[in-house]
Amino acid sequence: MAVLHRALFTWFILLVFLILLVLRLDSRTQWNWFIVFVPLWIYDSILLIYVLFNMISLCKNSHERMSIVRRKVWYIMAIIFKMATQIILCLKLEYPSWNISIILVMLPMWILFPVLLIDVFMTLVIQTHY
Amino acid sequence: MLFTLNELVQWLGLTIFEIWINLLAITLFTILLALRLENIITGGSAWWIVFAPLFAADGLNAYFCTIVYIRMQLERLYKVALFRVSWSFLFLVLLFVFKFLLCQKLSGQGHHEYSEVLAPIFILLQLIMVRACQMH
Repeated sequence: MAVLHRALFTWFILLVFLILLVLRLDSRTQWNWFIVFVPLWIYDSILLIYVLFNMISLCKNSHERMSIVRRKVWYIMAIIFKMATQIILCLKLEYPSWNISIILVMLPMWILFPVLLIDVFMTLVIQTHY
Repeated sequence: MLFTLNELVQWLGLTIFEIWINLLAITLFTILLALRLENIITGGSAWWIVFAPLFAADGLNAYFCTIVYIRMQLERLYKVALFRVSWSFLFLVLLFVFKFLLCQKLSGQGHHEYSEVLAPIFILLQLIMVRACQMH
């Protein structure tokens, strides 16, 4: 996919999700929270498939690029962490009687964000060196 | 993942440094949010404390953009500098308004609906769409 298509796809998913979210938050609908998050489920599944296909084609073509493959595995982990947060959040919102702790909701985020921070910081350092 | 960092920079018009600052602020925000929801941070200004990292990040980014603008002016890149600074400030102002309204709404001070609170985000999304169309 060209970068334009990817960007427009992301934009569209985000727009639909925000519209559904606003409708639910303003109590104009009483939909299940899992339905409100449908755009994000679609996005995450497509993202997973995209990364997996990329990884498989890389594995087929070359054996030396282990670092790139390792990076793709980390991407998959990140997507799974993001999905985990969303699932726990939906469960918390949909079933308040379960008393799911907010710490549990945030836990995957707290694992994901520091790694992301380090990754972006490394890119920043490498780019300023050149 | 779907985008490389450089594509994101090109699309959103943020530098990597700004993205990093925002990420850091969001991380701190989630920690404070958890503390607030667990009722460890309480009181009238609790939500403002929770949102403090985000506002601080906005302030830092605004400062950074101003510096970049001044340096670009010094290098006589007048037109590019003007475009850059106007986009950055539009981005920052819209996000700031959103966070401000959200914070007000959560502290029970404002009487806006969520659709009004998210209005700046919807405007920003349209602008981002236009930027996406300009990418090659």
